[in-house]
Amino acid sequence: MNNFLQAIDTLTIKFALTAVLLPLLAFVFNFLLPGRKSKLAGWISTVAILFSAVLSVSVFAKVWNTGHVVHQQVIWFTISNTVVYAGVLLNNLSALMLLLVPVIALPVHIYSTAYMKHDGNLNRYFAYLSLFCFSMLALVVADNLVLFYAFWELVGFSSYLLVGFWFTRDKAVQANKKAFIMNRIGDIGLLTAIIILFTMFHTFDIEKLFGAGNLVSKSTTITAKVILTGHATTYSSSWILFANSGNTALPIIWQYIAFAGIFLAVAAKSAQFPLHTWLPDAMEGPTSVSALIHAATMVAAGVFLLARVYPLFNDTELTILAVIGCFTAFMAASIALTQTDLKRILAYSTISQLGYMVMAMGIGAYTSSLFHLVTHAFFKCLLFLVAGIVIHQMQHIKEDNQLDIDPQNINNMGGLRKKLPFTFIVAIIGGLALIGLPFTSGFLSKDSILIQSFQWTDGRSGVFKLVPIVALLTTWLTAFYVTRLIVKVFFGELRLLHIKPGIKLHLSDGNWQYKLPLAFLVIGCVFSLFSINPFLYEQAWIFKGFAANGGLERENVYHSLVPIGVNILSVLVMYAAYAVYVKRKANPFPQKGVLFNLSFNAWYFDAIYNQIIVKPVLVLSRFAFWFDRRVIDGFVNLLAKAGLTLAKLSAWTDRYIVDGFLHLLVEIVRIISSFFRVFQAGKVQYYLFSMLVIILALFILKIVI
Amino acid sequence: MISLTDFLLVSAALFCIGLYMIVSKHNAIQILIGIELMLNAANLNLVAFGKYDKLNNGGQMFALFAIVLAAATTAVALAIILNVYKKYKTIDPDRIDKLRD
Repeated sequence: MNNFLQAIDTLTIKFALTAVLLPLLAFVFNFLLPGRKSKLAGWISTVAILFSAVLSVSVFAKVWNTGHVVHQQVIWFTISNTVVYAGVLLNNLSALMLLLVPVIALPVHIYSTAYMKHDGNLNRYFAYLSLFCFSMLALVVADNLVLFYAFWELVGFSSYLLVGFWFTRDKAVQANKKAFIMNRIGDIGLLTAIIILFTMFHTFDIEKLFGAGNLVSKSTTITAKVILTGHATTYSSSWILFANSGNTALPIIWQYIAFAGIFLAVAAKSAQFPLHTWLPDAMEGPTSVSALIHAATMVAAGVFLLARVYPLFNDTELTILAVIGCFTAFMAASIALTQTDLKRILAYSTISQLGYMVMAMGIGAYTSSLFHLVTHAFFKCLLFLVAGIVIHQMQHIKEDNQLDIDPQNINNMGGLRKKLPFTFIVAIIGGLALIGLPFTSGFLSKDSILIQSFQWTDGRSGVFKLVPIVALLTTWLTAFYVTRLIVKVFFGELRLLHIKPGIKLHLSDGNWQYKLPLAFLVIGCVFSLFSINPFLYEQAWIFKGFAANGGLERENVYHSLVPIGVNILSVLVMYAAYAVYVKRKANPFPQKGVLFNLSFNAWYFDAIYNQIIVKPVLVLSRFAFWFDRRVIDGFVNLLAKAGLTLAKLSAWTDRYIVDGFLHLLVEIVRIISSFFRVFQAGKVQYYLFSMLVIILALFILKIVI
Repeated sequence: MISLTDFLLVSAALFCIGLYMIVSKHNAIQILIGIELMLNAANLNLVAFGKYDKLNNGGQMFALFAIVLAAATTAVALAIILNVYKKYKTIDPDRIDKLRD
């Protein structure tokens, strides 16, 4: 029996590994594919992700709710006594994510084959897209923190490649640089946390650290008595691991630093305050990439990390998460109210929804958070693909009529429901799911978070009541901006016709490569995929998969009151927004005032960061550059000059003193010898004469002396 | 009365004239003549001192020998000069400087 189980496990692991590696294979193929633009590239990636999806469905079916964790590993490397394993860990969480990623990526791939078909670098695009999917899939199944970190980085890197895909545009380059730097900040946090966890528990294994009967929950933070300097007794807080009889104890502060590191990592990847500003800018990438980043891959990684290391957090830390998530949700929703760029509105709404997920983690609604992650993936991906079609059509209008307009500005749009009927219908469904009206999947997940946030405040002080109230407020804001978006884009008349009458229009929903992904994603936007009963999230199958369930019994009044209250008000808000915007007045609200400016300029976060961080960094780096150029280079140059002078001096000495001395010797020898040469002229008489002179001289000398 | 000193003076004068000719002349024949003059200056000395050897007349004897030898050497020297002339087409000793090398 055991052997039999083992064999099945091995098969499951093989399936999962194949699902992970297929996109990598597609990446390699596309990378090696000759040329820059071939239709084959798109189909290689699509087929790879299709098979990944099929395999992950079968893995999911084998792992989900069997109560059995599939975990196999091999020795990766050994450093003295520390053996680091690498392997695959499949529990409910990773199976769910393993399913979600290719299922969302598949329609995006199909869509991309049509959407990107005119781009000159099609091969590169699909290579990057496959790399992106591979890194996310690998991240999901990685069983140890080192591997996890590696793929975490790879997700960041491949998103960097994709956001800057059109790297000839300055804005795209700025955006991917920003995204990458923000993510690096988070990576530092994650690395710090991993190092602390390893110091504490001496293992990288996620299953051992956070799995059933895990080390982290056996550890505890206690106040221990320690003796200082022999006589004084004092108390100090420590982080103690009971299982190891307390031989690993770190000061309590490390536990908080680990939390801070993980929070930074989550904030960077999942765009939470204060590291959220990269996500709107990342809209510079192709729209299909935005769909993938916002739905299943990049931003989901942060929430996934939270879910993986959930047992680590204590009550204080969870509260911090809840507050930050709630604040992010509200802030981003308020910014989305006034933006005019179609993709930016959706980007801020993503930040807002991610805020909900982090908040849900914070209030202990672990499953609801994941549930929202899944449902959000479907409807946000859908909305982005819709935005892609709309922008594509606006681009057509712009090119056909040679207009100087921004194809993403919703103020130029309108009346598209007649031209793009299919897109309109799916956009409505996706929008309703984002708002969270009944019969949609968004209703189930969002209301489960809201209800649990109210339950969470029971027995807490009044300040914490703000969290669910702000969350409620945010849902109404969501209803408003989604309605504004849909009405401005699809209802009324095309505003371009007001500005420039007589422009030619021939718009369409596009071919099956556009429609099929949308139709597929719409299925995920309605309740039926997740729960039989459209009103009761408690019956969603996803809640049966996780242990950390809360609030599943309809034990109190919140379960009825919250959905009813939320939805009635949402509908009212939507009607108000519809009534205001359908008249197509240019600006129904005054475009000034503190609140408008605050929202329109995204709470001035970019400006503040520019002032507080970017500018000082630039000043510092300019100073460093100056210092390098002037002082260090100057010193080096000075040394070089000194050396040069010294060399010149020695050259001079060599030439004029040493050589001069030798030349002098030579000259003396030459003079003497040429003097004597005269006597050796070969003239016989001269010899005789010289002899005579010498003899005479000798005689004279003899006489004189 | 002609004393020994007078002989010696004449002899010295002859010697000096011969020496001067040897040093200064540009003609090998003249140089040869200079040499003869010097030889004869020596002979004159021999004969002049011969006065003090009246028994053997050694001075005269040596002088005769020297004259004979001088004749022989002159013959040899003239032959050399002829050969030199054949080779160099000149008998100016200044221009015959192959000895230098």
